[in-house]
Amino acid sequence: MSTKSPTEADILRPVNNVSKKFFMLFGASALALGIFLVAWMYQLANGMAVTGLSDWGSGGGVTWGLYIGAFIWWVGIAHGGIILSAAVRLLGMDRYMPVARLAELLTIAGLSAAGFYILVHMGRPDRMVTSVLGHYHITVNNSPLVWDVTVITAYFVLTATYLALTLRYDITRLRDQLPDHFEPVYKVMTLGYTKDEDEVVERMVWWLALAIIIMAPLLLHGGVIPWLFAVLPGMPAWFSAVQGPQFLTIALTSAISGVIIVAYAFRRAYDWDHIMTDDVFRGLLLWLGFFCLLFLWLQLQQNVVGLFAAPVDTFVAQEATLSHWAYLLSMGLVFGTLAYIFAQTIRPSLFTKARAIGAALLVLTATLLEKLLFVVEGFMHPTFEIYANTPGEYFPSVIEWLSLLGTIGMVVLVFLVVSKVVPVVELHAVEHLRGDHGHGHDDADDAATESEVKA
Amino acid sequence: MSTDDESFHPLGREWEGELEEMLDDTEYDSDLGMKMAQDAMRVTKGELSEAEFHEMYHDDVMEEFGVDDRPTEAAYEQAQEAQKGTATRMLEAFEGDGEQSRRETMKKMGAGAAAVGLGAWATVDDGPETNLAAADGDDGGSNEGTQLGMVIDLERCDGCLSCVAACQEENQTDQGVNWMYVLDYREPGQDEPGASRNRLVRPCQHCTDAPCEKVCPTTARHTRDKDGLVLTDYDVCIGCRYCQVACPYGVNYFQWDEPDVSTDEIEEMHSDMDGDHMVDDRDRWVDSRAPRGVMSKCTMCPTRQDGHMGDEYRGTTACEEACPPEAINFGDMNDPDSKPQRYLRNVVQTRAERMVDGESPNRENVQESYDFLEGDIELLDMEYLEDGDHDEIEAALFIQGELDADDLSLDDEELREIVIDILGGADALEDLDEEELGTLADILLGDADEGDADADDREAANDAIDAVITNAEDGVQNVVDRYESREITPAEVEESLLILDGEEEPWVSEDGITDESTAQQVLEAYAGGEASTFKLLEEVGTNPNVTYVGNEPGPEAEQVDGPVAYSDIGQTDNRKDVLDESTVGDFGVSL
Ligand code: SF4
Ligand code: SF4
Ligand code: SF4
Repeated sequence: MSTKSPTEADILRPVNNVSKKFFMLFGASALALGIFLVAWMYQLANGMAVTGLSDWGSGGGVTWGLYIGAFIWWVGIAHGGIILSAAVRLLGMDRYMPVARLAELLTIAGLSAAGFYILVHMGRPDRMVTSVLGHYHITVNNSPLVWDVTVITAYFVLTATYLALTLRYDITRLRDQLPDHFEPVYKVMTLGYTKDEDEVVERMVWWLALAIIIMAPLLLHGGVIPWLFAVLPGMPAWFSAVQGPQFLTIALTSAISGVIIVAYAFRRAYDWDHIMTDDVFRGLLLWLGFFCLLFLWLQLQQNVVGLFAAPVDTFVAQEATLSHWAYLLSMGLVFGTLAYIFAQTIRPSLFTKARAIGAALLVLTATLLEKLLFVVEGFMHPTFEIYANTPGEYFPSVIEWLSLLGTIGMVVLVFLVVSKVVPVVELHAVEHLRGDHGHGHDDADDAATESEVKA
Repeated sequence: MSTDDESFHPLGREWEGELEEMLDDTEYDSDLGMKMAQDAMRVTKGELSEAEFHEMYHDDVMEEFGVDDRPTEAAYEQAQEAQKGTATRMLEAFEGDGEQSRRETMKKMGAGAAAVGLGAWATVDDGPETNLAAADGDDGGSNEGTQLGMVIDLERCDGCLSCVAACQEENQTDQGVNWMYVLDYREPGQDEPGASRNRLVRPCQHCTDAPCEKVCPTTARHTRDKDGLVLTDYDVCIGCRYCQVACPYGVNYFQWDEPDVSTDEIEEMHSDMDGDHMVDDRDRWVDSRAPRGVMSKCTMCPTRQDGHMGDEYRGTTACEEACPPEAINFGDMNDPDSKPQRYLRNVVQTRAERMVDGESPNRENVQESYDFLEGDIELLDMEYLEDGDHDEIEAALFIQGELDADDLSLDDEELREIVIDILGGADALEDLDEEELGTLADILLGDADEGDADADDREAANDAIDAVITNAEDGVQNVVDRYESREITPAEVEESLLILDGEEEPWVSEDGITDESTAQQVLEAYAGGEASTFKLLEEVGTNPNVTYVGNEPGPEAEQVDGPVAYSDIGQTDNRKDVLDESTVGDFGVSL
């Protein structure tokens, strides 16, 4: 482990250097996104019939599929990301400060991917503005989908504000070492900055963080997103009070996994071993384990209630879910990860970065599978399952699979582009790691962190 | 839905009894108290306005109590005024009465609360109205204005799918877009499908509390104010498919690709009527198949309801019109005199009325048979003959010399053919060929020499001719015998219907049905016993406006093949079969 002390130059390295690898990754991501854009154009030209979707009921299929499953998945990653970052600020979990901004960027990128999915999913995306905004005052009273759009937009704005505020501080201080060709961007971002605002901003950021933490379970992934499904009595696979907490744990596991992967990538690319230390990864892994446990616990709740002596429709739906290979695989992956994480806390030698990445990837696969199946199962076993064509059939078409590739490409692109413009690690984090932070934190805590770094 | 408990109060008779006792103990008029309580409950349910209630009792209250402390009419009207602005019925449905104050609160609570959409809580917002109505055993729908809907008699449906085809034809929907869907089903443990009548006819239920409408992010799915139809505005819908997800019945069909029939073609098809079968009275595109990318479902034919096809089509739907056994009854569910409500009130009678329509032997036929037996009418003049054919009888009578050549309605050629037919049907002559039969016929008609055929054959031929007459006469006798033995024929059913309708002496003779209880029995034997009624998935709280007569499918019921397959009528059952053709990379597997 590196013993060198983090410097401003470290966090500026991505901004001021471009490597061949960067271009290759950029090209690959752009290609992935590009391929999907072409596929999407094809879908727009030919109609949604190019997907594997159909009508449920006599129509023998499911009407929401991978698009919506992936939408929730991205929203989950995004929401988990912002919760993570807010928790770091709010609870003073300074150890994770170096990854806080990455988590925020993950939120912005994830929400963009999710927003994109909404468009891709619609039959008439061209009407989004006129039809949705035009009747917003009426529909906001009762349509969970409108609540979703509202909340996603609100969180996008909130996160962007949050990011912008903390970036002003960094950009002002690092301006001299930032490339001149982005001058206009920096100008806009630091418009009207004075040193006096630092304190105000810090307080604002704290309040924003508080708002996010409080609203997360109430409105965010513990609220409106699961309500999209949980409030529909005709679909017993969804109609459940445990859906909110379940979504929240899935969001958090996904987001932590996402942060682990992104942080690892940056650490590797820019030799940030001394900034994103092994210790950070160990800590993240432990949190991942904790949320995996909650995730499994809530699944258990739903299974026991749904199978013990449930009404016919609920029983049928739950039984079908429990016996589905995708569900079992998903649960198996999470369980396996959990087992590994617990094992490595007892026996630290089991920890390696590769394994941490592996755990993160497995969890992301598991949550994506779970989300996909969750959406599909609702239509497969509705209360009114009398139709011979129900449960129907569904397998995502090539275009739908490509959307996953495309949005992953899109998210990577966001990171690649942003990392060339502004530092993706906060100046605060570096100052903090060096121990020359100006704001009063618990000294014992800092000392501990520092000793960990040196260890 | 029926209720055994006729109490006006949701807590039932017992409570009502207690209330009465309580009132009896006071010095005030308990009858007035009870009546007021009853009407007060109607106010809560929205059947009576508060102002009307006030008006009704003001004098009584003054007389009884000397003072009327209830809020005055003026105050009430003021409050009403403040509540104006409830733009559409949709909003009313969601928000109930206290809308204004709720809006205020929401404003005060700020955007956060609005985002949570406090307005969406059905239990909060429908207020006492729905809950009381439900507890009351009322149908729970909105009881004001017109609410179009259907009463579908599943026991009459014969699964012919005529309605499915008619709807497709009317609305030009694509293959597999079965706005109307008819299915046979089997309950678990029932081996033989069709052992009992398990069939369901499934249009959109045009729910009063339609979840599809509630979740729509654009108001494209809406309830039409004037008649309660739940429609989709094809110009507003963004194709999010949430309505399809929220509807518990699976009646929605998304337009996944370009529809088979273009709007131009639809316009062309309807060039001879008002409108284009797409745009309704309000100038909104809600009828016929949906364009690409938006949602469709059964519309209950707004073009017809708006009179675009002519007034005679108002109050009808294409599926209803096409249904041979008239199982579908469309109309205003709030009007006690509407087609569906009348049907519902007396299922057995209405059913019998329709079953017997055009069937024989009816009352007139029986009367005629009596007349014949009494010599008041000639065989040839009879309208109804159970056994025997007019032309054959005419020919036979002519041969027997009972009919003059002048009175014949048949020409020579026809006559000869008919006689040959008669002879050809006789057992004794079955060995003869066409030519020999012709010769026999000619002999009988006097156009050939007796010697041209052998005597046995001639005798057999004469017998065959006589048999025509005797059979016909026996048939007439038989009609009377059946009537007198009270076999249930259409005549008995007609009599029973008339008796139950209060007619004095509708019977042909005293041997027919003459008393009410027998009449009732006859009807039940003929048209099935008093059938149970239900609404689909009522517990989900959608307040559907389709009421079914017949068996309700259980939670484990599973569709089985019906008597007619969708392919038999040129339709597609499973839409996915059609859609799979356009799927890019159909892997042929399923999750
Ligand atoms: S049946 Fe009811 S919920 Fe379903 S589409 Fe029709 S009105 Fe909407
Ligand atoms: S598909 Fe159209 S009608 Fe249905 S909920 Fe979405 S916008 Fe409304
Ligand atoms: S009411 Fe009209 S739209 Fe509905 S099923 Fe019948 S014909 Fe089709």
